[in-house]
This record gives sequence, structure tokens and C-alpha cells, in this order.
Amino acid sequence: MRSTTPNWLRWGGGALIAVVLIALPFQFEAFRVNQFITWMCIAVAAAGLNLLTGYNGQISVGHGALYGLGAYAAAILVTRTTVPMLLTIVIAAVICFVAGVAIGLPALRIKGLYLALVTLAVAVLFPALVEQFSSLTGGGRGLALVVPQEGCPRGRPECPVRWESPFGGLENDQWRYFLALAITVVAFVLVANLVKSRVGRSLVAIRDNDIAAESSGINVSRTKIITFGVSAAIAGVGGGMLALLNGNPRVNPTSFTLLVSIYLLVAVVVGGASTVIGPAIGALVYGVFTDVIGPELPGRFENATPVILGVLLIIQMLVAPNGIVGQFKEIQAKMASRRSGGAPEVHNGATPVERDTP
Amino acid sequence: MNLKWKRLAALLAVMTLVAAACGRDDSSSSSDDSGSSDTTDSGGDEASGAFIDPSIDCADYEGTAGIDGDTIKIGTIRPADGPYAIYDQVTTGLDAWVTSVNSEGGIKAGDGNTYKVELIKENDSYDPGKTPALAQKLVEQDGVFAIVGTIGTENNLAIRDYLNDACVPNIALATGSTNWGDADQYPWYISGLPSYALEANYWADYIADTKPEAKIALLYQDDDFGTAYQKALTKAVERSNNDNGTTLEIVGEQGYNPLSGTTTEAAVTSLSQTGADVFIVGIGGTPCPQTLTFIPESWAPETYISVTCAGNTAMSLAGGKDVGVIQAQATLDPADPADADQEAVKEFKTKGAAAGLDEGQLDGGITSVGWGFGSFFGMLVENTDKVERADIMNTAFSLDQPAFGLVRPDIEIKTDGAADPWAIEGFRIAQRNADGGWDELGPVKNRNGESNELAG
Repeated sequence: MRSTTPNWLRWGGGALIAVVLIALPFQFEAFRVNQFITWMCIAVAAAGLNLLTGYNGQISVGHGALYGLGAYAAAILVTRTTVPMLLTIVIAAVICFVAGVAIGLPALRIKGLYLALVTLAVAVLFPALVEQFSSLTGGGRGLALVVPQEGCPRGRPECPVRWESPFGGLENDQWRYFLALAITVVAFVLVANLVKSRVGRSLVAIRDNDIAAESSGINVSRTKIITFGVSAAIAGVGGGMLALLNGNPRVNPTSFTLLVSIYLLVAVVVGGASTVIGPAIGALVYGVFTDVIGPELPGRFENATPVILGVLLIIQMLVAPNGIVGQFKEIQAKMASRRSGGAPEVHNGATPVERDTP
Repeated sequence: MNLKWKRLAALLAVMTLVAAACGRDDSSSSSDDSGSSDTTDSGGDEASGAFIDPSIDCADYEGTAGIDGDTIKIGTIRPADGPYAIYDQVTTGLDAWVTSVNSEGGIKAGDGNTYKVELIKENDSYDPGKTPALAQKLVEQDGVFAIVGTIGTENNLAIRDYLNDACVPNIALATGSTNWGDADQYPWYISGLPSYALEANYWADYIADTKPEAKIALLYQDDDFGTAYQKALTKAVERSNNDNGTTLEIVGEQGYNPLSGTTTEAAVTSLSQTGADVFIVGIGGTPCPQTLTFIPESWAPETYISVTCAGNTAMSLAGGKDVGVIQAQATLDPADPADADQEAVKEFKTKGAAAGLDEGQLDGGITSVGWGFGSFFGMLVENTDKVERADIMNTAFSLDQPAFGLVRPDIEIKTDGAADPWAIEGFRIAQRNADGGWDELGPVKNRNGESNELAG
């Protein structure tokens, strides 16, 4: 299990990233920190999707709906029950697991484009469902995460949920940032361990050749269904984080349209499908583009942000079809082979199989 | 083995997080009994006599944030793309007002200074999920003094707690939702439109006067905006029947979900079968004029449309079926030949053209709304002795003056704290004629202080 990345670079790079991640909320204003939190939510949801699409080869265009389900589940639990706030994210994940299994059932019989179409229907249906059950979800008005508490302005009995840091000195947004960061790191560590495990190898085996996988003793149906469930649960965690932690204590159906499902897929592909860290890179690229660069474009181009993003995506697909992380690994492998003078050899410890996205 | 430990560690980390979250104090839920927030206490009873006292209401009050020398920075959030991009023209009007004011040197404020205005525009694509981050950016990064003319009920709702807690004025909201009547709890919000509930009452009163036995078909947008019409109309019909002996009846109701991606055609067809002789179109955006095109030849009801689809731009999308529709009007229509001689219209056309608006924008009836929002803000600055955030809001909630901007000249502008938080509370009833103008059916009536109780 040797990686091509030299050890000093791995540790040095890791330490550098850790320092940057910890320093970020102290360097930026609250609204920016809130955007960072939103990017983390997208990264977690994309990590869930990556498990399904990248590693298992089942394309889902409906993960925006599962992301939304997680958000609504957490929001409804916070406003209607006294379940502790972070626990609602865990419950949201369980609910999404069940929903994921249900959506995944048709995946046993259909594959590829047809599965994409089924999940597309889920994505389109979700905002309409939210409207339909407006007594529970607040419908188009959105659902505010307001709870009865003391100290609300102007004697209001209820006001939006607050996150006070138990360790003094941290601003509200900084505390939420570190909570989100902790959940994100845990989610990525879980995914990394999962794909390295026997289960992870069977996911890839099914993706590459399900008949061969079946004949080597893998229960294909069960694995596919469970993958769908786990993937949905992780997406639900991202949604729950979005509802509770991103500084906007309110969920709206418009935040979970088909477009969001597509953006999640984009994050996976841009970052690098079937690489652990790819979805995080993809979410970062997407976030920087829409929240930082987009608004700075001159007024005339601002409205064209999605078009520009689309063109960049096409270019990337031509230049680096394996995503940013995939491309990085390829370059590294080439350099390593040049140094050793041998034939190019793509060694990859973290992911058993590296190939073009399905 | 190693892997197992790692997993255990991860699990532990999750559990620690959950435990950390348990810190939230749930014991305060018993404070519910102070509830009944619907009572509209008069807000002006604090010691200072002012509606807002920042020393009581605000944790970190920055009264003059956004004022830099002789410049006031304001922000607005609107859809610049997507299906509601038509409302971007409201912001075009606001922008033109800013250009016009600055070219004249600025606003002469009550403190004797003359202020120029800088407008920062943000685009939320009408997605209330995006609005909060943009409002935070405007307040925290750009440091605006106030938000002006932000579009969308849900969008303004999404930032209401944030702006009120930060004590940042949100002036001339481009929505007449009944939510904005709650100035007691949210005193940093004042609507730039009349209440939708009040509008529905003007329809109901006119129908009761002219067709006391009317059978009404109602099409409403199935969200906060449309249900405000539905609730207020139902209540008004009931009251009219009880008090005035009319026999109005709502014979059919259809909700239309703008998110559904369908048109209103099926709903209109269904309503046309109810035998109604009055048809109320309580929806906005382009679906509103589109609805008029779906009315079948066999059905000829008297049709009422929402104030949000007034004006040439919207009416030109009705395929000629706009002639004869009835509307409650609070503002002058720059395209109406009958209003052409009004001073306010002339001023808008001259100054608007100088600020770069083209003829289509000047006549469209949407840009002029944004211009009106600018005038609203300008009027408040002019009338405030000390240009501070709280003082601006206190001025907004103690108005007593004639119409400003493009508000119809007979409408009185009166507010009084939480007892009367609506600035514009008058309409006339007018009918669309073939010349692209409006014929007056009933003159302006003022109903100051009634908007809140008329909400359903």
C-alpha cells in the first residue's frame, strides 16, 4: 500500500491544510465564514454521492433531494421536538438512509442512464413534496428554525436557534464553523476507511464488472442497496449541517432544486470521482466560483455565472477527465516514473482502481 | 485492527459532538405563556416617546454605520436571473433614482447635510435560500446603512430576524405581505407597497357596491403572497354579507403553485365551469397576464388583477385580453394618458430619462415602482433630524404627510408605530381601457390604520 506521494509532502501538506482550516474563521468576516460552512455541507453531501457514483458506479441525479430531506428532517426535529440539535443530524442521517434504500430499490434492475432518470424524478419531485406537506414543512415560505427561548429581542417568545460556544472567546459563527469542520472531517474519515475496507473493494468490483463481482462471492444486490442507503445518509448529514449550522436558521424548498443535485454531481466530477478528497476539492472550487468570483464579475457577466461554470466544466472534461485530484495523481505518477526511469506506473494505495468516471 | 481503532475513534468523535450539543437550554420553553404576540400594542409608549429605542432594543447598535462623510451606502437584493428576473427592473428604477439624486447634488437631510447615495445590488435569483448570505454580506462587508427595496416576500422573511437583531433598517420592501404589519416585534421593517389584504378589501367593497349578488371565482398563488388575498377576501365577503346584506359568494377557489412548472390553464378552465361572474387573479409575475390569455371565449367574467401585475410591461403579455380588467391602484401609471399631466409623472419621466431610463422602462410600470422605493427612502432621510438608523425608522413610523414619489396624489401617508405600520393605505378602482390607460371606476379612498385588522 505505497502511495506515490512522498512522506514529507503528505505530512507537511496535511499540517498546512490543518493550520489553514483552523485559521480561516479568525481571518474572515461572519458572512464569509457562513459561506465556508455551506461549502463544507456541499462537500459532505458530495462525498456521499461520490461513494455511490464514483466508487459504485451508480449515477444519481437526485442527491439534492436527499440533501434537502436531511435539512428538513433536522429542521423539523429542532422546531417540533426537544431533541438536542446535533443529534437531529444523526436522526436525519437515519431517515435519509431509509429513503436512500427505497430510492435504490429500482437500481437493482436498472443501470446507467435509466437509473439517472429515476433519480432525476426524485430531484424534481422534492420541492413539490415540500409544498404538498406545507403544514409540516412551511411550504414555499420556508421553515424557520425558531424555538422558544429566553432573551429574544422585543419580548418575542421565540427566536432563531443560537449556537453559543461553551468555550468562551469564540464568536457564534466561529463555533459553528468548528462544529461543521468536525463533522466534515469525521464524514471524510469514515468514507476513507469505508473505501479502503473489504466493502469498499466490493463497491469498486461491482462498478467495474458486476458479474465478475457476483461470481467472486459478493452479494451484489445487498451491496448496491446498502451503498445507496449509506450514500443518502451522508448526503443527509450534509443537509442537516446546512439547516443547523450555516448561519441561516431557515430551510427553503428553493435550496434543494434539481440544480443542486447537478451541482453535487459537478463537485464530484470536478474534484475527482472515486478519490476520497475529490468531492471536498470540487465543493471548494464550486463555492469559490459561485460565492467569491461570481459576485465580483462585472454586472454584465454576473448573470452568466452558470454559463461560465458550464464552459469551464467542459474544458476540464477535455483536459483533465479524472478531476483535479485524479489529474494531480497522474502528474505525480508520471514524475515518479521519470525519476525512476521506468515505465509509467500508476500506483494507487488509497483507491484500488483508478479510471475514467463512468 | 488498526482500522477498527480508527473507526472507534471516529464514532467517539461523533458522540462527543452530540454531547456538546446537549448544552442547549431547553428549559426556557416554558416562557410560552407570554405568547399571544398578535396583540397590536401601541409601540409609541416608551419613555422617550420614540418607537424604537436602540439602547433597549439593540445589543450592538451602530447607528451611523454606512454613512461615510456625505455618502449614505444602501443595499438591495433582487432577482437578476431566473423566472422572476422581470423584477430586476424594479432595481433598475431604484438605481436610476440614485443616479438622479446624486446628479442633483444629493438628498438634503433633516440634519442640514446633503448626502449622496451609493447603491450596492445583490442577486439572489429569487431564491430565499440565498438571500441571508447576501444580506450578511451587505451589512458586514459592504457596511450598508440600510436595505432598500428588496424583492420577494419569502426573501424578506428569510432575513427578518437577522436584520432586526442587527438593528439594520429594511425600508420599502417590494412586497405587501401581511407579515410586515408586525412592527411591534419587527420594528426595522417597513413595506413600500400597500398590504395585499387591504387591496383584497378594495376589490370586495367595489364588488359589493356594484354586484351585491356576485359569484366569485378566485385564483390565488399558493404561497404567502397569494394566500394573503385568499384569507382577506374570504373575510371581507363574510363581513359584507353580514353587515351590508349582500349575498356575495366565492363559488370556486384554485391555488396555483409557481414552483410546479405548470401554467394556470387547468385552474382557469376549472374555474370557468363554476358559473362565476367575477374572476379574481391573485397571482403575480408573468403567470398573471398569462392567466388572462387562458380565459375561454365562453366565459366573460368581470376580472380583477393583482397590483403586482399592473403596468404596460405585464399587460402587454396578456395578448390583448387586458382590456376591461379591473385593478385597485395606489400609484400613478406613467403609461396612462390620463395620468400624463400629473406633476409626479412628468418629473419621473424627465429625471428618469436623464438618469438613463429608456422609454420602455419609463412606461413599463415596473421601473417606476423601484423609483418610488427610492423616493420613499429619500423622503425619510429628508424628514429625519439626525440621520441614524433608529431615527430613520422612528420617522418611518410617525409619518403624516401628502403622497410622495409616484403614489397617487390623493393618498395620505400616515403611520403610527405598531398601531399603524403601513405607509400606503389607499387605492382607487380603475379599469383598463383600449388606449393602454385606465378609466377610474371609484376615486381614491384612504383607510389609514386598517390594514392589519383586515388581514385574514
